[in-house]
Amino acid sequence: MTLKTAGVCKTRVRDLAKLELISVNKRFGRTTAIDNVSLVVEDNELFCLFGPPGCGKSTILRLFLGLEAPDSGQIRIGGRDVTQLPPADRDLAMVFQNLALFPHMSARENLAFPLVSRRADPKHVSAMVAQVAETLHIGHLLDKFPAHLSGGERQRVAIGRALVRNPKAYLMDEPISALDARLREEMRVELNRLQRQLNHTFVHVTHDQEEAMAVADRLCVMRDGRVEQIGTSLELYNAPQNRYVARQLGSPPINFISGNFDVSSGVFEASEMALAAVTGKANAGRGAAWLGVRPEDLSIVRDKSAGAVSVPAAIYEVEPLGAITIVDVKIGEQILKAQLPGQPKFSEGEYVNLCFDLRKCHLFDSDTERRLATGLDAINRN
Amino acid sequence: MAAIDLINLTKLFGFVKAVNDLTLTINDKEFVALLGPSGCGKTTTMNIISGIEQPTAGSVCFNGKDVAHVPPGRRGIGFVFQNYAIFTHMTVRANLAFGLEIRREESVTIARKVAEMAALMRLSDRLDRAAGRLNVNEMQRLAIGRSAIVRPEIFLLDEPLSNLDAAFRAEMRTELKHLQREIQQTMIYVTHDQIEAMSMADRIAVINLGVLQQYASPIEIYNNPANLFVAKFIGSPSMNLLNCRLVTDGGATKLDFGMAGRIIITDPKLLAQSRMAQRQDLVFGTRPEQLELRSDDGHASSLRMTTTFVERIGARTIVHLEHGDLALKVAEKNGYGAERGEARSIIVSQAEALLFDAENGRRVQDEGA
Repeated sequence: MTLKTAGVCKTRVRDLAKLELISVNKRFGRTTAIDNVSLVVEDNELFCLFGPPGCGKSTILRLFLGLEAPDSGQIRIGGRDVTQLPPADRDLAMVFQNLALFPHMSARENLAFPLVSRRADPKHVSAMVAQVAETLHIGHLLDKFPAHLSGGERQRVAIGRALVRNPKAYLMDEPISALDARLREEMRVELNRLQRQLNHTFVHVTHDQEEAMAVADRLCVMRDGRVEQIGTSLELYNAPQNRYVARQLGSPPINFISGNFDVSSGVFEASEMALAAVTGKANAGRGAAWLGVRPEDLSIVRDKSAGAVSVPAAIYEVEPLGAITIVDVKIGEQILKAQLPGQPKFSEGEYVNLCFDLRKCHLFDSDTERRLATGLDAINRN
Repeated sequence: MAAIDLINLTKLFGFVKAVNDLTLTINDKEFVALLGPSGCGKTTTMNIISGIEQPTAGSVCFNGKDVAHVPPGRRGIGFVFQNYAIFTHMTVRANLAFGLEIRREESVTIARKVAEMAALMRLSDRLDRAAGRLNVNEMQRLAIGRSAIVRPEIFLLDEPLSNLDAAFRAEMRTELKHLQREIQQTMIYVTHDQIEAMSMADRIAVINLGVLQQYASPIEIYNNPANLFVAKFIGSPSMNLLNCRLVTDGGATKLDFGMAGRIIITDPKLLAQSRMAQRQDLVFGTRPEQLELRSDDGHASSLRMTTTFVERIGARTIVHLEHGDLALKVAEKNGYGAERGEARSIIVSQAEALLFDAENGRRVQDEGA
C-alpha cells in the first residue's frame, strides 16, 4: 500500500501555477486595503507575504482566492485572467489561521472532506488520504477527533486537508502563528520540507519576521497596502530598500543613529555622539540622515583599540540568551542593542567602548527613509 | 518585602493534574519566569499564587505566612495580562490614576505618580488620549503602567508581550527588566517563549505536564539542562539531540552514531560524563552554535551528513543536515555559503557536549557535579 500510494505522488500532473497581481487596488469603505499592488509568485515557489497586522497581506490571499474582488487591476493564475472567475473555478487550496477543522469528524474524515464533497471515487479518496497522512506523519492520528489532537497535530491535519486535492497552488494564512514558539520552529522546517516534496506553489502569510525569512524562497514586505520590497531573505536583510524594511527584519531590530550626511564629501556625522564615518558610494542625499547598524555588527571592548571606530558607552541591561548575549548600551540618552556571541559578562553601569563594523552599516535619508548607501569607512584624521 | 513559597502544590481539574507536587521558593525582589508549553500548568500556578484558584493540596506562603484564607484582593498583587485589561473609553491619564483613586490617595500625589509612570512607560505625550485609540504597543505599556503604579508587592505577568511585533517585543524585554529593577518588586512572569524567560528572569522554573523540571538561572539552565525536556525547550534553534551508543573499542571510548559515524571521546570532561553513564544507550546533546561545518573528512570528532535545507534568518544562517535517521542543525553567520545536497563533515566541540540517559531522559552528571 505504501509503495503504491507513494507512486501516486510522482504521477501527479499539474499545470504551471504562476500567480500574478497586476496594478490591483482594493478599498473597504474609506480604507485603502491594497494600493496599486503588482507582484508575481513564480511557479513552484514558496512566496511569503510579510507585514504587521492590517498591512493587506491577508487581503491579497483573499483576492487570489476570489473571496474579494479588486476595485481595479487584474488577477492571473497560470497566465490566465481569473479576475471575474468565482472561487470554486480558481482551483486554489487554502489553510486558514483558525484551522477550521470539523469537530464532529475524525482526522481521516476531515482530510477526506474536500474530495468527498466533490464526489471523488472512494478508492482515490482513501489512497490520497493515506498518502497525505504519510507525508505529514499523521497516520497514527487518523481516527482521532480534533479535540483530542494537540495544536501541532491539528495544524498538520488542517494542512493535510488542503493537500488531498491537487490544486494549482496552496495559500496559507498564518498557518503556524497560533502555536508555541518551539512547535513553530519545528513546523516551519516541516513546511519547507513539504513544499519541496510536493513541488508546488505556496503563498504563505505571516507577521513573524523569523518565520518569513526561514521559510520563504522570496518574501514580500508590505506596509499599509503597498509593497515595500520583494526579494530573498538575504537580499532584504542585507540590502533593505528603506528604513521600514530594515526595521521589520531582524530581532533584536536594527539600531538607528540620527545625524547629518553630506554627499559631496560622503561624510556622516552623528549629532548626539562622537561618531563620524565616510562613504564613497552614496549617490544622493544631504542633510538629516540615519545610520543603521544591526546588533550583530556592534561589538564591545573595554579598552579603546587603535583603528576601530568606537564610541564610549555605558552598559544598561544584559540579556543572556545562551548562544548569544544581547547587551543594551547607553550613549547619552540613546540605547543601542548589541548582539555578542557566547556568554560574555558585563555589569550594569560599566563603562565600555562600542565598536561599529562600518562596512556593514547603512545610511538612510531621514525624509524619504530610502537607503542612500551601504558600507562606510572610518575617517582618517591625520 | 514579599518572598513567596509554594509548598507541594497540587491542582486537579477532574482527573487532570494541572499542577503536580510543585515546590518553589521565590525570593523578595526576584524576577522569576514560569516557562513551559501551553497546558503545562504555569498559568494555573500563577492563579493559585493570586488566589483566583485554590490548590487541591499544598500551600502558598507569603513571607512565611500561609495565605490560604487571604482573598485575592488582599494579597497585594498586581496583574498584567496578554489582553491588556484597560478601560478603553477612559483617557490614558484616567487609566493610570484609577488604582490610586480607588485607594483615595491625594490628588497631588496621584498627579505626580501618573507623570512619573507615564514618563517611565513613554506615554507622556499620550496622557489625554482615549486609551482605545492607542496602538497595540502603547496599550500594552499602559496596561503595565496601570498595574505598576500602585506598587503591588508582587507583580504577576501572564504572557504580556505575545501580541506585540518582534521589534517592539525586543525593546519591551529591556524595559520590563529595567522597570523591575527600578520599582524593586517581586515579579512572576508566565511565558511559553524561552527568549523572554532567558533575557529577563533572575531564575527560570521550567514546567512540563504540571511537574517542575528545573529551577535555576538562565545560563545554568542553558549550559546544564537537567533533562531532555529542558535541553530541547531552551535555546533557539533547539539543541541537537542525537541517539547514540557508548562503545569501547581498542582502548578508546567512542560514541557510535550508526551510519553517520563514530566520535572518539578525547575531551576529559566528556570522558568523565561517559564513565558515569548507567547504560550504553545515550542521547548526545550539542547546541547548533557549538558545531562547525567542514567540507573535508577524517576528523576524530566528526560526523558525515548531507545538507537538507538552509534557513537564512538574518543575523544567522541555520543549516539543517541529515543522515539516515539522524538530523541536526548548525548555526552559522549571515551570508554563510551552504546549498541543499552538499555533503559536510560536522566537527563537534566535545568540551561543551552533554550526555543524557536515553531511558529516563536525565542528564548524565560527571564526577565533579
